[in-house]
Amino acid sequence: MSGGGPPRQASIAETIQTTDGFLRHAGREFLVVLYTAFRSLKLYPIENAQVQKALDDLTATTKHLLDVEKEVELRLQGEFLFVNATRLRLDLDNYASFSHILGVLRQCGIGAVRIDEGVDRKQLQIFVSLLLSYAAKEASPNKVFELGQKLSDGGVSFISVEPPLETEEDVEEEERQKEAAKRTYARSVAVTKEVINSIRMGRTANVKKVKRAVQAIVDQVLNNEASLVGLTTLRDYDEYTFTHSVNVCIFSVALGRKLGLTKLQLYDLGMAALFHDVGKSRVPLEVLNKQGGLTDEEWRIMQAHPWLGVLTLFGLRGYGEIPYRGMIVAYEHHMKVDLTGYPKSLRGRDLSIYSKIVAVADGFDAATTRRVYQTVPIQPDQVLKEMWENPRRGYDPVIVKAFINLIGIYPVGTCVILDTYEVAIVHSANPDVSHVHRPVVRIVASPEGALHHPGFLADLAQRDAQGNFPRTIVKVTDPVKYGINVSDYFV
Amino acid sequence: MDNIRATLRQIWEATDDLAFDVGETEIRWEDAVVYSQDTRSESIAWTLYKDGVRSLTFKPGIEDVEIVRFLGVLQQAKNLQADAPDDLLTLLWAQDFQFISYTFRELASENAVPIEAGATIPTTPPTQVRRFVEEEAPPKREGLVSIDDFDTTLYFLEDKEIAYLKKDVEREYAQDLRRNVLAMLFDLLELQTYGTVRAELISIVENFIPYLLGAADFRSVAFILRDTRVILQRARELIPEHRQTLESLPARLSQREALSQLIQSLDEATVHPTEEELSELFQELRADALPTLMGWLPRLNNERVRELVHGAAARLAQANAAEVLKALASEDTAAQLEMVKLAGRLKLPGAPDGMAPLLESNDRTLKLAVVDALTAIASPSAMRLLEQAIDDADRDVRIAAVRFLASRGYRNAAPRVESVVTGSKLKNADLTEKMIFFEAFGSLVGARGIATLEKMLAAKGLLGRKEDPETRACAAMALGKVRTPEARAVLERAAQDKEPLVRNAVSRALREVGG
Repeated sequence: MSGGGPPRQASIAETIQTTDGFLRHAGREFLVVLYTAFRSLKLYPIENAQVQKALDDLTATTKHLLDVEKEVELRLQGEFLFVNATRLRLDLDNYASFSHILGVLRQCGIGAVRIDEGVDRKQLQIFVSLLLSYAAKEASPNKVFELGQKLSDGGVSFISVEPPLETEEDVEEEERQKEAAKRTYARSVAVTKEVINSIRMGRTANVKKVKRAVQAIVDQVLNNEASLVGLTTLRDYDEYTFTHSVNVCIFSVALGRKLGLTKLQLYDLGMAALFHDVGKSRVPLEVLNKQGGLTDEEWRIMQAHPWLGVLTLFGLRGYGEIPYRGMIVAYEHHMKVDLTGYPKSLRGRDLSIYSKIVAVADGFDAATTRRVYQTVPIQPDQVLKEMWENPRRGYDPVIVKAFINLIGIYPVGTCVILDTYEVAIVHSANPDVSHVHRPVVRIVASPEGALHHPGFLADLAQRDAQGNFPRTIVKVTDPVKYGINVSDYFV
Repeated sequence: MDNIRATLRQIWEATDDLAFDVGETEIRWEDAVVYSQDTRSESIAWTLYKDGVRSLTFKPGIEDVEIVRFLGVLQQAKNLQADAPDDLLTLLWAQDFQFISYTFRELASENAVPIEAGATIPTTPPTQVRRFVEEEAPPKREGLVSIDDFDTTLYFLEDKEIAYLKKDVEREYAQDLRRNVLAMLFDLLELQTYGTVRAELISIVENFIPYLLGAADFRSVAFILRDTRVILQRARELIPEHRQTLESLPARLSQREALSQLIQSLDEATVHPTEEELSELFQELRADALPTLMGWLPRLNNERVRELVHGAAARLAQANAAEVLKALASEDTAAQLEMVKLAGRLKLPGAPDGMAPLLESNDRTLKLAVVDALTAIASPSAMRLLEQAIDDADRDVRIAAVRFLASRGYRNAAPRVESVVTGSKLKNADLTEKMIFFEAFGSLVGARGIATLEKMLAAKGLLGRKEDPETRACAAMALGKVRTPEARAVLERAAQDKEPLVRNAVSRALREVGG
């Protein structure tokens, strides 16, 4: 059957040379054709032409990859997929396929798939068929070994599967990433503070440092998003204005990554996000830090901060080029999608996607944070619910959807009670978006009520031997009630 | 570069990567110094070291493209000022190298407060925790976010949503950022009535214009000028000072220095803006731009720019007679010449008022152009000037003027022509000039001149000598232009003249008289 179909189109790997990383492109193509084969086989019988074509494509792409690499290892690590140690980046064209494959491999208990030279179309067909049937089976710790045995029984000698590895090195790497995230966060807050204070004093701002901070945030989000996003739960680390700017930058970059922005686009977005409230540097401190309600005049001054941001950025000395994108985001981040909100717009405009992203990140962080005029923060899940369900808030629904997709229904840092009577803190969203309500949590209190630090991680999407979920969230609660400082569990 | 590439390829045969340690003055590979330079300003090691780079690793593949980009970044970093918005690390990061990795020391961040876990590990007694949990669970529906509340499929982005986001990202990078920011500024200028805010906004806009011109963003400059007019009409509570500043914006761009800079940069630019972009801007030029435009026209090398400047000048000239006169009075003769030509082409009726002094000029080319323009305009004032040109010192100017006046039958010029023909001015003139003046005489003076012409053609002087053959031939041609029976009769009497030149002229004149 192989080669019976129409001539294969030139693959991405054939047209894009090594300058942009052969593996990144070829690996992505491999994932996409694997997903297509999996999906076709799920929907149609094996004889179906679409299935046959999908298998042809999978065979050709695999062979092309093997021609260069000799062997292919597809490995899951956290929420990332690696092909021969190269992490595959998501973009808008493929992230659903990636998430699906990630979910299938998890359901089968697979940590890595190894394919060697010599693999043929038939072996690939058996592998995909087995994946399909094992993904639907009940959870069992032995699933991956059973699947391996089946492959062997079926004469598939060039494809093998392995369980996930949690080596000492992985743990060390996790710790290293955590420490790096803390350094990045602390430095970003310090730099933001320095710049805002420079602006307040009329001094030249060190934009170089800001660029470095944003570049570090982008790197950190690309390498280990969860550790940095977790730090947005830090409370009272520094003045709200500074931590809020950094949090909005982190959420925006993480959301941008989810939407498939390139590294350099993430940088543009991050710079704009970090400066989104720069106009507040021109709001009198007595208004900015006023406890209790603001007068009408004070509200008017506060509402001027978006456009004051534009004026501030025009006057920002030390910026080589004029930061237009930052100005646009500063100006638009309180505008609603129908262009109501503030400031008022006379000349027609289309809201920038970066403004819409920053608006969501800003709204979320502001509502979940304790501030001078909001002493009781709202629970993260309630904030998301309001953003999603109340169109009068004026957020772009697709961006909100993607944001929920990013941080889950229960965002990172949410304190929850499980049906086991355990208390837990949401550690990270489930990478499989079909389990958006089943995040990875850190259990911080046992059913008996004993509090643990640091506690332990549990993936709520994991099923037991009977195929049931051993733990399910039943309630969101206030961590303060239990004497829990959420950020301690991320630090 | 070829040498570097060849060397790297050789190296890859022996090793999988090249890892260097970077010191202040030297670069080491496996503890051996492979590069050393003590003079910091010339040292690659120092360029890397001073911005924090401590190690550098090259991988196979670097030789294809990245090595060139890497060296470019090094060069760029070396030339950066201390207060530049970039350093080596920000530049390296932006390149997103695939075959180069590096380690670096962070910039001093003494202000960063270390993030530490809370000093107090939660100590709520287990019994209390348990009691709270029991109180809260089993769950109450209120405030609970459950699977029922959220359709999980909702959180997969659908194809059309992905397409929407993709389009939005494309739009983000395709948009005209400057125009977007300008629209904000003008919205603010219109809505914010605070004087200090408006003053700041106006100052931003004013300072923005040269920057935009420098960036060849002419469309945005046109936008500023256009929307300034809108603001002047619509903005409430605009104080006179701000109004005046805004009103002066287009005028400032039309001023000689600013406009010269613009045209010069356009003419010298290698990449040109579209015609539409430029014409938008040129539409906004004020009348006083005309003399500057005219001055630049003869000096422009780029044909497109020339056409554009010409178009703008034509528009302004047609609408602003006073500026045309100013341009004609320019001290720049090249500008005068262009203005004269343009006035002729456009047949500007007011232009002759500014051309009289030009006829006094010593510049022959200019005077000829003036005559050309005057003949094209042909208004009464143009005819009067042409009449004056009959007495011009330059032969070609005289010829052009008299020929045109004759062709139009401009009888007011008859006395002046008669004076030339009957006087001594043509004594040393060549045959062509003589002929044209005589013919003009015939046309303009008509039957009244027959006696004079007959005398020239046939009569003998005091010493029994006739006029010279050229003059007599010219007189014959002039009679041909009179076209009366009397003129014909005079010509017929001279038909057998002994002088061949005269005989031929008579013969031609008779043919012209006809009948």
